[in-house]
Amino acid sequence: MLELFVAMKHIRTRKRQTVLAVGAVGLAVAIIIVFRSLMNGSFETFFDIFFELAPHVLVLPKEGEEYIYLYKTLIEFIWAIPGVAAVSPALSTTATLSFEDNVENVDMTGVVPAELNKVTSIGDKYMIEGDLYAIQSGRRVALGDKMIEKLEVQMGEDVVASFPDANTMNLVVAGVFRTGVEEWDQAAFVSLETAQEFLGDGDVITYINIQIEDPYQADEVAAEISALGYDAESWRTMFPQFEESLAFETFSNNLILVLVLLIASFGIANVMNMLVLEKTREVGMLMAMGTNQSQIRRIFLIESGILGLAGGIFGTAFGYLVSAYFNSLQYTVNAPTAPQPIVIKFLVDPFDLIAFSLLALILSMIAGVYPAHKASKLDPVVALRG
Amino acid sequence: MSKIIEIKKLRKVYGDGVELVALDDVDLTIEEGEVLSIVGPSGSGKSTLLNMIGLLDTPSNGEIWLKGQNISKASSKERARLRNKELGFIFQYHHLLPEFSAVENVMMPLLIAGVEKKEARHRAITLLEEVGLGDQLNNKPNQLSGGQNQRVAVARALAGHPSIVIGDEPTGNLDSKSSDMIYELLRKLNREMNQTFILVTHDMDMAEKTDRILRLVDGKIVCEMLRDGDKFVTRDLCKLDK
Repeated sequence: MLELFVAMKHIRTRKRQTVLAVGAVGLAVAIIIVFRSLMNGSFETFFDIFFELAPHVLVLPKEGEEYIYLYKTLIEFIWAIPGVAAVSPALSTTATLSFEDNVENVDMTGVVPAELNKVTSIGDKYMIEGDLYAIQSGRRVALGDKMIEKLEVQMGEDVVASFPDANTMNLVVAGVFRTGVEEWDQAAFVSLETAQEFLGDGDVITYINIQIEDPYQADEVAAEISALGYDAESWRTMFPQFEESLAFETFSNNLILVLVLLIASFGIANVMNMLVLEKTREVGMLMAMGTNQSQIRRIFLIESGILGLAGGIFGTAFGYLVSAYFNSLQYTVNAPTAPQPIVIKFLVDPFDLIAFSLLALILSMIAGVYPAHKASKLDPVVALRG
Repeated sequence: MSKIIEIKKLRKVYGDGVELVALDDVDLTIEEGEVLSIVGPSGSGKSTLLNMIGLLDTPSNGEIWLKGQNISKASSKERARLRNKELGFIFQYHHLLPEFSAVENVMMPLLIAGVEKKEARHRAITLLEEVGLGDQLNNKPNQLSGGQNQRVAVARALAGHPSIVIGDEPTGNLDSKSSDMIYELLRKLNREMNQTFILVTHDMDMAEKTDRILRLVDGKIVCEMLRDGDKFVTRDLCKLDK
């Protein structure tokens, strides 16, 4: 193909201009890829932090009912929904805990430790003493460190749990946790059976927390459960501000990144303009030999497209390597309230690599439109004179 | 012989405010296989006439017929197609594409015509051998001498088997030895392929080797001389006082 032949020849022989154009676009694309990977990484960290203590879907009893009665059937039903990763039933109640002279009211929740851990990772990450799984065996309780302080109780000692209409019982402190969230650090966890025994209302629960592999499937999962008459809500309807702020963040970041690329494509426009000026005589000769206007236009459009695509490919490759390197550094930041330092992640979305290569190609071709048009409109007689 | 070019009342006026008449009602017929030279002082309209015949420029008035087709009002695309198919150009400056080797430059008109690369290359090599540059195929214009570049330009002009070859001062930049060589080359090709050559030149020695000399002054043909054996005979329209 004539157009490609001529365009490639220009690109190969005008090395300095080629390096300049490809470099400008490549650098811009690389910056974009690194920034996007930082953005993806921080969004994932946001998600992780946010959903560490919050479920993707919360299922509450049917309207007008105090408990979820046939919860075992319901749990089976939920597990059958594709993509469900954890189903944590809970029976929440209020209990008065007393130890020696100290008396405190506490939110006491009966849970299945393994499932609670999958939803909140409280068993893996936040235990500072003992073991969350220990509550499974008999009358044991895991307490938040704030409650431990208030009751002035220690691991292995007995607290008394009581409440009007409830069955008073002794509980051994089997674990202490600290999440950094005030509300949680004043709470108590016991096994589901212990909580049911305490309340004496039979084999019932008050809610189910569900974790899903892809959090964005939450609405669909919630809808399936709601169809059974339960009050199921996804995080997206529970915390709409969360997604709103992410969307705003994404938009403003992308706007800046596209502007960066736009500036880089001016580099291509400049190189192409110079090329057309320099090649006036040759365009005239090509026309004399019978090249028509659309062919001339295509030569320069193809040329700027190739420069843009090369910049895009070079930029994505470079950006990918830089992101991977930054990610491997495991750079951390400290937040005053966070129990652990937060690792800054750089996650490259493969879609970005293709999308921004193509965007570089398209913007460069747009940048080439005017120079290409100018070249095609040259009068061969004037052009040949130089 | 048949008419390959017929020009009727051709007029070209430049400028909007102050008008400059470059060609003033020129009538001219060119036969197939003719070697014609156009001479005249600078600004007489020789190049303008050549650009009209070469379909690089359009007339203000009058008609140009190429092989029986009126091409005065042809679209830019159609003119480009005809330039590629029917015409070959040799300019004073070789106008070779600097990034391309000799053989690639000669291939260019064929590639524009859509001929396959391999075939175009084969034809280009044959032509370069013909002009005595068979050993310089892959050299770029800056690696060749002025005379060699002009021979590449000749090969390029002939690549697409044009029926008319147009030369605008084709030897203007060359020493007399290279000039003679280029002219002999053109003449040989003319005899072998019966191509029509139209040359604009300042060089009367070269003009006197052609079959017909037209003298242009102020956009008018003032004199026409025809070869008759070794001599030239003037036609009645000759106004030698000009």
